Amino acid sequence: MSKSVELVCIACPIGCRLTVTSGIKGDVEVSGNRCPRGEIYGKEEVLAPRRIVTATVPTRSSLFPSAPVRTDKPLARELIPQLLKTLYARTADLPIKQGEALIEDFHGVRVLFTRTLPPDEVPPVG
Amino acid sequence: MTVRSVDAVVVGGGSAGMAAALAMRQAGLTVAIVERDPFLGGILLQCIHSGFGLHEFGQDLTGPEYAERFIGPVLSSGIDILLDATVMEIRNEPPRGKVLTAFSRRLGIVRFSTRAIVLAMGCRERNRGNVAIAGTRPAGVFTAGLAQRLVNVEGCIPGRRAVIIGSGDIGLIMARRLTLIGCKVLAVVEIQPYPSGSVRNIVQCLNDFSIPLYLGHVVVRIEGKDRVEEVEVAPLDDGHPVSAKSFRIACDTVLLSVGLIPENELSRAAGVSIEAGTGGPWVDADLMTHVEGIFACGNVLHVHDLVDFVTEEARRCGERVVSYLGGERKQGMLTVAPGANVRYVVPNTFVPGRENVLFLRPLVVKNEARLEVRVDGQEIRSRRLAHVQPSEMIRLSLDKDAVSVGAKSTEYGSTPYGGAKSTGYGGAMEVSIR
Repeated sequence: MSKSVELVCIACPIGCRLTVTSGIKGDVEVSGNRCPRGEIYGKEEVLAPRRIVTATVPTRSSLFPSAPVRTDKPLARELIPQLLKTLYARTADLPIKQGEALIEDFHGVRVLFTRTLPPDEVPPVG
Repeated sequence: MTVRSVDAVVVGGGSAGMAAALAMRQAGLTVAIVERDPFLGGILLQCIHSGFGLHEFGQDLTGPEYAERFIGPVLSSGIDILLDATVMEIRNEPPRGKVLTAFSRRLGIVRFSTRAIVLAMGCRERNRGNVAIAGTRPAGVFTAGLAQRLVNVEGCIPGRRAVIIGSGDIGLIMARRLTLIGCKVLAVVEIQPYPSGSVRNIVQCLNDFSIPLYLGHVVVRIEGKDRVEEVEVAPLDDGHPVSAKSFRIACDTVLLSVGLIPENELSRAAGVSIEAGTGGPWVDADLMTHVEGIFACGNVLHVHDLVDFVTEEARRCGERVVSYLGGERKQGMLTVAPGANVRYVVPNTFVPGRENVLFLRPLVVKNEARLEVRVDGQEIRSRRLAHVQPSEMIRLSLDKDAVSVGAKSTEYGSTPYGGAKSTGYGGAMEVSIR
């Protein structure tokens, strides 16, 4: 027997209302999506939910005490606590550039800095 | 004291200010930006979550990434940037001159002599005083955006067990953020029967972490001696809290996400008149306020829910300043007013014969709605909308043929405000949702 769930797509802020139907053979069908990303989201959400993770890591700077980071791709939800634990144990050394990797490979995703921060204690332009 | 002379000064170096400044600079104007923080970027820098840039760049960016798409170009474009400086006053020098006075930590008083000013100061958060919550006055009550800055920029943890009042997007984002840094978010309490943030944020910020959302409930008291100790929550019946059904939640922190107010003290002092519906300046189709030469864009004009729309509006504002300084006169403006189920429409006038982009905010939650545009009672355009809700702004683009030039247009002329207002023939556009 097939089973269907109602979901709200979170691939972008539009928030399409999806109906995801799972068949007995493991096949999954998505309707209500306005773009292909909705279909991918709907399938993943019932099979193996993933999220983009954003967080901060501490620095040694007093002007910029915290450096924001993100995963370059969505990470499996059950791995998020483990990633956070790894991140909170790290310290970033300034300067950093947006797009540079803090972690090259965490279960297949990269963790990137999202903000360019100047060398410690050097005020930015002005 | 330093005096600098430029074609246009932008007040605020956030998303709106940077986009407006770049548009003007790219058209060849000399431009200055005055920013009160020691860096450009504004509130985007504390919004480390993703979801920005889908319209503007077709990419899912975080706030700092989105900001840096503009910071680099602004820094390399020859725009005069004054950071760590507060604008104290805008003075109008008839007929068309402006003098803007700023106070800089490094340089003292800096004056700009200019011909146009773009207001791009953004908005600020409503606080406990604005929503009048009874109880004691303990430490541990923060606005959500302040908590966001503390966590994401300053690297502090504001508390351990939090209750969030209001389900605006910032509150929802902070519910997730606090959870990720190891705090316990016990409840999100929303006075309305529907969430005021986007559905997407309800899903990924609350449902993912099983954070309870109390719709149609209100926090009636915040209690605590030195630090917050508990809040009392009551359900609403017909708009009144039912104290017989109230319950208490023990917590040490309360975050308020109860709305944003455009920050217009400077605008008011400069003679700009403020609209009740938006809390921002009245602006004509060129985004010019009632004071000639003073323009407004971004969250100081009306609170947007997507930064992409701020960028689009600010860029257009910059382009209009360029036309204005080039001597282009606006002709034949219609007044624009909100109709049924619409809280506000921005801008407040419409120019036939060119593309006009209107932003409006609905008053209702409705599926299968119909957006109607009428000029003097006659419908000229309509659009079907699958779903509307107050937390989601609607962007309405009307092509250049939507209203014919001439026949229905009004004269552009002087008013007691000294700006654009219809005179003579009373052409009026009304936008409603049914």
